[in-house]
Amino acid sequence: MKPSTEQMLGLYKMMVRSRAFEEMVAEQVQKGHVPCSWMSGIGQEGTMAALCQLRSDDHMTYTHRGAYSFISRGSEPSRLLAELFGKSTGYCKGKGGRHIADLEHGVMGKSGAIGSHAPIAVGMATAIQIRGGDQVVISLFGDGTSNRGTTHSALNTSALWKLPIVWICENNGYAGAIPSADFTTFKAASDMAAAYGIPGISIDGNDPLTVYAVAGEAITRARKGAGPTLIELKTYRVGAFAIGAKDLRDPEEIMAWKQRDPIERLRRQLLEMDLLSEQLIASIDQEARIEMDSAVRFAEESPFPNPEDAYQDLYA
Amino acid sequence: MKKITLTRAVNEALREEMQRDPNVYIQGIGLRAVAPNSLTGGLHDEFGSQRVRTAPMDEPLIAGSCVGAALAGMRPVAELHLADFAFCALDEIISKAGKWRYMHGANNGMMLPIVFMQTIGGYVGGAAEHSQSPVGFYMHAPGLKIVVPTTPYDAKGLMKSAIRDDNPVLFFTHKLLGGTEGEVPEDDYLVPFGKAEVRRAGNDVTVVATSYMVSLALNAAQSLAEEDVSVEVIDPRTLEPLDLDTIVQSVRRTGRLVVVDEDTMRCGVGAEIGFQVMERCFSDMKSPVLRVGNPDLPVPYSPVLEKAVLPSSSKIQAAILRTLNPS
Ligand SMILES: Cc1ncc(C[n+]2csc(CCOP(=O)(O)OP(=O)(O)O)c2C)c(N)n1
Repeated sequence: MKPSTEQMLGLYKMMVRSRAFEEMVAEQVQKGHVPCSWMSGIGQEGTMAALCQLRSDDHMTYTHRGAYSFISRGSEPSRLLAELFGKSTGYCKGKGGRHIADLEHGVMGKSGAIGSHAPIAVGMATAIQIRGGDQVVISLFGDGTSNRGTTHSALNTSALWKLPIVWICENNGYAGAIPSADFTTFKAASDMAAAYGIPGISIDGNDPLTVYAVAGEAITRARKGAGPTLIELKTYRVGAFAIGAKDLRDPEEIMAWKQRDPIERLRRQLLEMDLLSEQLIASIDQEARIEMDSAVRFAEESPFPNPEDAYQDLYA
Repeated sequence: MKKITLTRAVNEALREEMQRDPNVYIQGIGLRAVAPNSLTGGLHDEFGSQRVRTAPMDEPLIAGSCVGAALAGMRPVAELHLADFAFCALDEIISKAGKWRYMHGANNGMMLPIVFMQTIGGYVGGAAEHSQSPVGFYMHAPGLKIVVPTTPYDAKGLMKSAIRDDNPVLFFTHKLLGGTEGEVPEDDYLVPFGKAEVRRAGNDVTVVATSYMVSLALNAAQSLAEEDVSVEVIDPRTLEPLDLDTIVQSVRRTGRLVVVDEDTMRCGVGAEIGFQVMERCFSDMKSPVLRVGNPDLPVPYSPVLEKAVLPSSSKIQAAILRTLNPS
């Protein structure tokens, strides 16, 4: 599956916007404007090459890491940031922080306990199957999260019921400070797929065009009712586990992965294909910066919720 | 009117709601092969395996996938069987279903219409892990409605309300109440949440009892009537929302309260209702609120030991008499 010119450029712009959002959030965290910790997604934007293929009526579950999943779906940086600031104009009116829901754009919410998303993805896919639609679910999880029972539960049931799910394990090599090899004997997360009798494939998650092609096939398979696929994206978080956390990893390893940045890679490829020019690159960067500046203004100028708002929203 | 069992009443509610609304579906362990006279009997044959889903033996999956399906616009019902097993899915029930809407600021009118069915109760030689009634445990968690029906009429009407409610509802059926017979209308009807029922009127002592405890309390009240003690028995029917007003009105009259709940007493239904009543009725009270319940022990197996731990009519009688003669 090859993306069109328009799709490739769209993906590139989205990735640049996501990176700009992350850089801006990092700055705001350091300034003390964000009263929660933030797990930066810088370096893992290759996943967007899968998410950007979702239709607006498809579903997604996402992890604690980064903002690229919301940005892929069309959530607005201004309201995302306002939520991180704890403002009433945020997507969750200041009740969720980094647990974002934006139903209008198909962002259904985030579990604080990681790995609990997997059964939720099964439920979304069950709804699709009962209604007989051709929507799909993309469900993301980290390599650390691959060890939770819920992940295995959900893989098992999705295989059993042939549910329209594309499981994406974003393997960034670490869970917190601990390397993946220290908590599982699986050599590749995609080996898990074999246990459940579904297709599994491990690919370079920092190569957006490969991610696009492989995820596209899995999405098509799911739409046709042929069941789930597990894709492992080998990637790397360039920053520490969370902004401000101590990074114990080998600096040479970090440098080596920085050379494999997914955005730079796509940029080079698009330049080679003559789809980008230095001028266009500059204007895309500029636009993203302007968008993030206005998001900061929006978040800063927005009011905090009233204390009595704490009593609202428990029940529908 | 027709006379049916409580189990049958729940079964009819499930069937009728599934007929009425294509978004309602049910899933749980073994549903393809349940006994015809069980809570979900006959549903698989009528609605097929898409809407009556025989799930893997995997409570977190069963409960958690209900959350996803509800977000995607369905009205799932999870048959979790024993409450003891539902503990395997506490993250899904308490933290996902109960808190998802609130944590996401009710974004775009987000709703989680889910019913989690659980069977509770001891008195069957089930020992510690097949006998629990952790109703109060869930009362502690925000965002979950709690239904404890005691009659076929209520069970059917409350189950229909539960399925039509836009929030997560825990529906607890007691093992010993399933066979209880009672009159149920032929036509569609609902029993609203948050309305207690006075099962027996009385003037001396108020007893609030949950689930199977209502029948034990009624037996106790009957026996004491012979000794000229007039006991009022209140069945709250739902614990969240709780109809505190009905309880308070009764206690203002009697000045005495006994709360009976089968579960461990510490931080339980009795502790909560007793405290709320104390906050509102302190000056009306003629004696301290008493609790009858499990004295904070796992339920033991041997009938002799089980009897020592679980509430009984005679324990309730003794508590009622103590409120009349506080030492
Ligand atoms: C159930 C649960 N346990 C622990 C945590 C705390 N926690 C948050 S992220 C994380 C590590 C996750 O590792 P991984 O899935 O590999 O994602 P990564 O952070 O590497 O992107 C942990 C332990 C949590 N949020 N939920």
